[in-house]
Amino acid sequence: MPETSRRGLLFGTAAVSAGAFLTACTSNEPKEKTPAQDNRPAADDTAGKPVTIGFAGPQADHGWLNAINVQAKSRAEKYSEVTLETTEGSNDTAAQIGQVKTLINKKVDVLVVLPADGKALTQVGLEAMRAGIPVVNLDRVFASPQAYRCWVGGDNYGMGLNAGHYIGEQLKDKANAKVVELAGIDNLELTKQRSQGFADALKNYSNVKLVARQAADFTVESGQAKMAQLLQAQKQFDALWNHDDDQGVGALRAIEQAGRDEFIMVGGAGAKSAMDAIKAGNTVLKATVLYPPTMAASAIDLARALGQSKGVAGLAEMEIPTSVTLYSAVVSKDNIDQYLPTGFS
Amino acid sequence: MTQPAPSAQHQGPGKGHPSAPAAPPSKQGSGSRALGLRVDVRNLSLLGVLAVLVAVGGITEPDAFLDTGNLQLILTQASVIGVVTVGVTFVIISGGIDLSVGAMVALASVWATTLATQEYGFAGILFTAVVVGLAAGLVNGLLIAYGGMVPFIATLAMLASARGLALQITDGKTQIVTVRSVLDLGLPDSYVLGIPPLVLVFAAVTVAGWLILNRTTFGRRTVAVGGNAEAARLAGIDVRRQRLYLYLLSGLCCGIAAFMLIILSGSGQNTNGNLYELDAIAAAIIGGTLLSGGRGTIIGSVLGVLVFTTITNIFALNNLQSDVQQIAKGAIIVAAVLVQRRTLRGGET
Amino acid sequence: MAPEPPPLLTMSGITKSFPGVRALDGVDLEVQAGEVHCLLGQNGAGKSTLIKVLAGAHQPDDGSITWQGAPVQLSSPITAMRLGIATIYQELDLVEGLSVAENVFLGHEPTTAGFVVRTREARTAAAALLRRLGHPEIDPAREVGDLSAAHQQIVSMARALSHDVRLIVMDEPSAALDPDEVDNLFRIVEGLTSDGVAVVYISHRLEEIRRIGDRVTVLKDGRAVAVGLPASSTPTRDIVAMMTGRDVEYVFPPRPAPGAPRATTQPVLTVEGLHRRGEFEPVDLELRPGEIVGLAGLVGSGRSEILETIYGARRPTAGRVQVAGTPLRPGSVRAAVAAGIGLAPEERKAQALLLTESVTRNVSLSALSRFARGGWLDRGAERTAARRATRELSLRPDNPDAAVRTLSGGNQQKAVLARWLLRGCRVLLLDEPTRGVDVGARAELYAVIRRLADEGLAVLLVSSEVPEVLGLADRVLVLREGRVVHQADAQELDEHRVLDLVMEGSPTS
Repeated sequence: MPETSRRGLLFGTAAVSAGAFLTACTSNEPKEKTPAQDNRPAADDTAGKPVTIGFAGPQADHGWLNAINVQAKSRAEKYSEVTLETTEGSNDTAAQIGQVKTLINKKVDVLVVLPADGKALTQVGLEAMRAGIPVVNLDRVFASPQAYRCWVGGDNYGMGLNAGHYIGEQLKDKANAKVVELAGIDNLELTKQRSQGFADALKNYSNVKLVARQAADFTVESGQAKMAQLLQAQKQFDALWNHDDDQGVGALRAIEQAGRDEFIMVGGAGAKSAMDAIKAGNTVLKATVLYPPTMAASAIDLARALGQSKGVAGLAEMEIPTSVTLYSAVVSKDNIDQYLPTGFS
Repeated sequence: MTQPAPSAQHQGPGKGHPSAPAAPPSKQGSGSRALGLRVDVRNLSLLGVLAVLVAVGGITEPDAFLDTGNLQLILTQASVIGVVTVGVTFVIISGGIDLSVGAMVALASVWATTLATQEYGFAGILFTAVVVGLAAGLVNGLLIAYGGMVPFIATLAMLASARGLALQITDGKTQIVTVRSVLDLGLPDSYVLGIPPLVLVFAAVTVAGWLILNRTTFGRRTVAVGGNAEAARLAGIDVRRQRLYLYLLSGLCCGIAAFMLIILSGSGQNTNGNLYELDAIAAAIIGGTLLSGGRGTIIGSVLGVLVFTTITNIFALNNLQSDVQQIAKGAIIVAAVLVQRRTLRGGET
Repeated sequence: MAPEPPPLLTMSGITKSFPGVRALDGVDLEVQAGEVHCLLGQNGAGKSTLIKVLAGAHQPDDGSITWQGAPVQLSSPITAMRLGIATIYQELDLVEGLSVAENVFLGHEPTTAGFVVRTREARTAAAALLRRLGHPEIDPAREVGDLSAAHQQIVSMARALSHDVRLIVMDEPSAALDPDEVDNLFRIVEGLTSDGVAVVYISHRLEEIRRIGDRVTVLKDGRAVAVGLPASSTPTRDIVAMMTGRDVEYVFPPRPAPGAPRATTQPVLTVEGLHRRGEFEPVDLELRPGEIVGLAGLVGSGRSEILETIYGARRPTAGRVQVAGTPLRPGSVRAAVAAGIGLAPEERKAQALLLTESVTRNVSLSALSRFARGGWLDRGAERTAARRATRELSLRPDNPDAAVRTLSGGNQQKAVLARWLLRGCRVLLLDEPTRGVDVGARAELYAVIRRLADEGLAVLLVSSEVPEVLGLADRVLVLREGRVVHQADAQELDEHRVLDLVMEGSPTS
């Protein structure tokens, strides 16, 4: 049937051009290069004996996790004597156990592990330690201290605490101040810790009250949806703490859509988009509390020191500490320039 | 009858006569009214649920719940998943299933918000979202209609690969939209007579869906394929082509929904459309669409979506936390379906 | 000499109403131990409702049931089963994914400690039951889904016998069986009755009742019009009269006068060497407008397969089909429909109808695009056209919105015919057009079919009932094991001759 074939031809041509257009559109290369992270020298940056570091992290399906991988890789590249063996990121516990075992079999000098699930990977951490490979446990902690030589990670409770103190200070002259909390995924331990820290900090300010809390799930879409509901429920409030800058993109969108600006907003984690907004100062977002992905770079530093049997410069200790808890700094317009390079997208 | 008829079917035109006898399908000619009534009853019971919810919302949060802002909010939040549900309803009526809708929304939304796409502005984003949705739907349709794959498996595979591709494109990053004309459509200035553009799109898709299902050969063939595929084939209907079109339609709805989500959230993220497949299927089912196919209404599905969105809204306004929300949502699905079954028995057999 | 034992089962005054219909109106039934009691009646006479009451699936509104001399309430299927009443439904209720033994003992498996199934014991016991039923070749370990319909029925009976059964209800057990399988069924029934088990036997086939029945109860319109007649001596004519209120079983419309211009017209359907490996040998066939050609043959003789292959629903191995000289694309239903062929398939409900949809929507299904402009339906025109077609066939009720599932079998068949009438076809393929249709309604269908032929349609008719083929068709092709073994004018044949041809030589397996 000629009509059909002509239609088919037209459709085919359209499909091919659409395909070509779409293929060109998968690119996400930015016009200018993202600024690299800080180049301050490490405490001990003269080249030592060669060290092979095995690195196993989860799948980078979230901006922060992606930043972790980037930080670890670029830090390792800075040291000429460090070889980094990375594995394919995986959220599957069994797969990650297999990957760590492979690294043990390759006899790497030091392991850096950010487990998909801390409890589930404890056994393989123990295995590495018994094989004489020191393990640097990143962020999500193993169930047993015997499974790692050194733990380095963020402070979720401290994050909430610092956010609460910052907001408390900003509102201290305001009578009957109302605060709203947009939490992260509610069935995660870290969300509970952040909320607890936040609540504990607010107890120091008798004029400030937490009037509403909703949990989103770290996605832009959920941030927009939950924030829109919060704004509808609370016709007026003074401050908002949002646990996560990714969902904050959606929250800011909801705020823009509702045309509200009577409150200040504090974010969490330290995404580049949030930091840009803080620097620009044209939104309600005035500060963000860090959960720094630079911890991965620090983990590489510590792993290197372990591999070379060195201590940390500036401390009297002969050995690397067993635990390093990072401080969740509040980044506001005052100190934004200092932290901007660590922002992740 | 393949199993003993339920013995406790109370029914009959005279409501309030619990002694009315149990009944198998009647052989009498009152079919027409039963058929018409069934559709009404089905939607009526959902309207009843909705009315109860509105009453609950109005009583518990009179200030926040009962204002235009909240109506706009509920309708806006319903619009993205609503458009997806219209497409899914067609697929389910035809006896199929589409588990990949959430993943297709994610893929279309990230593909349409890459830096490269954004350079083409509004048209580039819209075009890309729609074409990616259509393309994914085409793959589903070809695999199912011509590859002989079971819809559950084919769309499950699409779910996995579309999510994977979305992650690959974004590298886990949030893609912020900077195209002003797109962003502005989500802001109050663009509201038409107080109606957000997203809600207008939702309404248009609903009306189009209703018309297609009830007034076109396409809709008639969809019902025929779902009601009895073999009979449809032997009546000379091209069942395979119809199936292909249905998954294309679902993909198209996902593409439109992706564009709406970009407008709503101002970004594209690989986590977009999380669990849309379950929400859309649940809405269609409580809206009276048979999971086995052959019967269903667009109105019912849209009411189902509105019920869910209103529940979420009431809970958030009352500052109830996610644990309570989830428990209550499950309970309400069960309650809505039970109420519906009971009213159905009164109206049908 | 002991007095006559009390009846095993007495049902008296059983009444059961559904909205708008009184399904049973004071029905009496009396069954003696060890007898075959036949239950006769047209569709809708109340047979199904009565056996569901007996099985405990329906509760009667009124009436009493006495079992072995004591009044009982059959309040649930389990109660009935515990008393020793088992029912084998027409649509078998087996779990296809379970083995034969598992099906036989479903719900009362031999167990250790209450939950561990003693599989070997179950298989041994199932094998014993299958031997008793004359089918030792059925492997108790096989999945039921892999068995033939006949064997599945045997499994269903084994399940009934696995209980301590006193009464078995069989709902049209011979419907899906070939003649020698029916013979085996009768041997089983005789074995059961000699053990003292009573059988309530439902069938449409009067000759079966004559062969194995002891007594007959006839239902009509929810009443028992005859109770406990002797099965062997009551004349067929009387039974048919009681069921239908008429004196004859079949009424066929007159054929057009011989020597009509039929022979001179060009054939509208030409089938040349059509062949499907494993199903039927090459077939040649010509059909002229106004002609009804019958295909006679047993189940498995290839008759339905030939029809479906002509229609494109099955792809031929070789051969071709032409409509008015134009060859059809093989294996394409759409090509056949476009060329003007219509099929009324064997399984009306499964293959032709959208049961929950209205008459209009069912009738217009094949001609939808005619009522559409750019895909947009003109529902007024659709309804008018569908109504014209259904009225022409006197479909009852005359309600275009009635759901098809509420229609009787004959009217459902008319809905299928109306579909092709509306579509406007030249060749009509009818596969068992009167299956499940009341005897009374058949005559009307025959008249409709003949009228369609007189109006110029060519009809190809398949039927298991030889009198139907002989009475309705002009020309008959006799099929045996996938081959056409005889071809003649219908008037040159009689029932005995056709039966001989159909069964001649090696018996079908």
